[in-house]
Amino acid sequence: MPDVCLYFQVHQPNRLLPYDFFRIGENANYEDEAMNREILNKVAEKCYLPANRMFKRLIEANEGRFRIALSISGTVIEQMQLYRPDVLESFQELVASGGVELLAETYYHSLAFVHSNKEFERQVELHLQKIEEVFSVRPRVFRNTELIYNDAIAAKAEMMGFDGIIAEGVERNLVGRSPNFLYRAPDTAKIKTLLRNIPLSDDLGFRFSDAAWPEYPLTSEKFAQWITECDGDVVNLFMDYETIGEHHWDETGIYKFWESIPEAITEAGLQWVTPTEAVELYRAAREYSCELITSWADTERDLSAWMGNVMQQEAIAKVHHLENKVLSINDADLTDAWGKMQTSDHFYWMSTKSGTDGGVHQYFTPYPSAYDAYIYFMNVLADLQIRLHRALEEKGIA
Amino acid sequence: MKRLRVLKLGWEFPPLINGGLGVACLGLARALAKHVDLTVIVPQSSPESDSEEFELQGLNRLSLKSLKAAEERYRYESFAQVQKVPVFLDPYGNEESSTDIYELTHEVIRDPLEIFSETTAEQLGTFKLGALYGPDIGSKVIEYSKIAAKLALLGDYDIIHAHDWMTYLAGVEVKKATGLPLVVHVHALQYDRSGAGDHGWIYDLEKFGMEHADCVVPVSHYTGKIIIEHYSIDASKIRPVHNGAEPVKAFETKKKFPEKLVLFLGRLTSQKGPEFFLATAARVIAKNPNVRFVVAGTGEKLRSLIESGAFRGLGAHFHFTGFLDKEKVNDLLSMTDVYCMPSVSEPFGLSALEAAQFGIPAVISKQSGVSEILKGALKADYWDVELMAKHIDNLLTDDKLRERVIKQAKLDISASTWDAAAVKVVSIYHELAC
Repeated sequence: MPDVCLYFQVHQPNRLLPYDFFRIGENANYEDEAMNREILNKVAEKCYLPANRMFKRLIEANEGRFRIALSISGTVIEQMQLYRPDVLESFQELVASGGVELLAETYYHSLAFVHSNKEFERQVELHLQKIEEVFSVRPRVFRNTELIYNDAIAAKAEMMGFDGIIAEGVERNLVGRSPNFLYRAPDTAKIKTLLRNIPLSDDLGFRFSDAAWPEYPLTSEKFAQWITECDGDVVNLFMDYETIGEHHWDETGIYKFWESIPEAITEAGLQWVTPTEAVELYRAAREYSCELITSWADTERDLSAWMGNVMQQEAIAKVHHLENKVLSINDADLTDAWGKMQTSDHFYWMSTKSGTDGGVHQYFTPYPSAYDAYIYFMNVLADLQIRLHRALEEKGIA
Repeated sequence: MKRLRVLKLGWEFPPLINGGLGVACLGLARALAKHVDLTVIVPQSSPESDSEEFELQGLNRLSLKSLKAAEERYRYESFAQVQKVPVFLDPYGNEESSTDIYELTHEVIRDPLEIFSETTAEQLGTFKLGALYGPDIGSKVIEYSKIAAKLALLGDYDIIHAHDWMTYLAGVEVKKATGLPLVVHVHALQYDRSGAGDHGWIYDLEKFGMEHADCVVPVSHYTGKIIIEHYSIDASKIRPVHNGAEPVKAFETKKKFPEKLVLFLGRLTSQKGPEFFLATAARVIAKNPNVRFVVAGTGEKLRSLIESGAFRGLGAHFHFTGFLDKEKVNDLLSMTDVYCMPSVSEPFGLSALEAAQFGIPAVISKQSGVSEILKGALKADYWDVELMAKHIDNLLTDDKLRERVIKQAKLDISASTWDAAAVKVVSIYHELAC
């Protein structure tokens, strides 16, 4: 029977103000601080604080048998430092329990890899520094924004010294094989790829509270039973942390489920591992080839959630186009403002997809429409360009 | 000469709708009131627009009782067989045009004259609430015409003056009921909104009104030509009168960014040609990246324009403000370097005059009425984006040209007043009344 590996993503973006044309050149504050604070407060009350307390208790009560992994973006850490130091402390206490592995990612939760190797490295480095500073640990497994992955990213992560990397177990690359094994990316020597088990992860992340789902209501015993029936070495259950209490409210029984799952898994004769433990325990015997980029977003599981339409394509291209200017000016504020504009959520909100995926995009957006998201973003970008231009002139570079 | 009594039939009236039609009706009414006794009937009016200069009657504020004396004397004729008109028009809507097909089943009534002529409380009530445009505009136009005819019978008038197609049916009804001469004022045509091929109910009403009119007053020679060519109206009864422009308090604001600013102001519909503005912008920016283009306004084309702009990679230099109130529009005008009006068909184009009052040189399409007034403005066919771009670039780089265009515009607008327009209209009244 396979082991069970649990990883949660913790992230909040910096939402922009409804930044209209008249602010360009005048207003260097881009973020809707009130909204960012309010959403952080809401998610902290519904998810972060109670879930952290629960997992800390479960880790301690299970005496080392129950362990989890978290990936916490740089932007959410900054928000917690700014608005809710108590919430960050609660994460620190959870990590100090010894049962939590932290993963590496891009500081700004960005699509940097797709556009610039150099910027990607800078952001991963920045995130490693932040995690070390706040949690005093150095992650060994890398997960890219929303599991954006291909062979090149795996090779890059290996070069940067990571032992493992996380990806979506996409059928078009698995071609019938099980996601419950570790795999080797082509042209890598030792880094191992862990693949998300899509159906089992989504049972918890999406379907759990769906009363129309035939398996509803899901109990931890039933879920543990399903895992015992799986083949392979390790079942990877990867999802957003906010699914606990925020996407699925407390009333759905989500907390009861997580309360009881550690014991249910052990009772079923299974054991918990973290990503690094999985990498150490199991061989990656077979190759998982993934030339075209995959992700865990939308039905397409590609980049179309962020780069599917012309607005998204233009916005993201224009941001990355500023790289050389920003880095040559080397001003901390400007570099940070530019980095925050790379956060993938900005482009996610510009999606004009319809159907179920469109509904998910709209659930998360702070704006009336994708078009407003684009307009505000481009106006902010125009202001940033003006500031960069001024800074260049001051430096006498222009 | 005796002071004439004029019954004016309008549809929009500020502050309820601040479209071009309402603004023009108010401007002309104020200037006319200096020469004639004026009564204005509109579907909806708000008490704040009541004026001592003329009498304003909003049907929303009318009581059924006040029509009573006229009911006996009036028989409705024009559309007696039709109860419901399947027409939809909302010139201020933002939705992309719907693909719904309206069923063309006119309900025919058995004894039309009896039922139809009398105004019911329910019919009068439709003017109290709801929009002036929208799905029931057809019925509103018919009800308005009946009530207007009755009100005309209750007063003493010498001339009827109707503004745009919504009131033409009323103008004809009043003329039939009273025998008075009818002037129809043409602020915009279905031709402008939908092109030459759209011959629906609105086109028919426009033609019907102009055919029954004793005089047709288009707001420009450009529109007069369309009336002759596309509506086959006798050229001898067409008398163009240009609109005036209320003087605005112009001011200048320093931009917060170093780039030049080129402005498009108007509703984002095919008629206003925003796509041509976008195509022009692409050409200017390719040559001179230190320019920002701003689209102020909203409409059914907004989303497709945003997408086209993104596709052309113009974002961050091509901005959308959405709908702006008057104050914001003025803020924008105060920092604008060039005004661009690439309308596909623009009967007049008041905004170009307003821009001129702010000392902004204009690049305007030849297919506009205002091009007859702004003699110095740089002109191009609306589709000629190359020339449009060249004009804009020249105005941004050639200060002498810029000064010349501004100077000429100042001269031109000084003559464009509502008083001047009113004098021409009054002379038409006197010709018809004697």
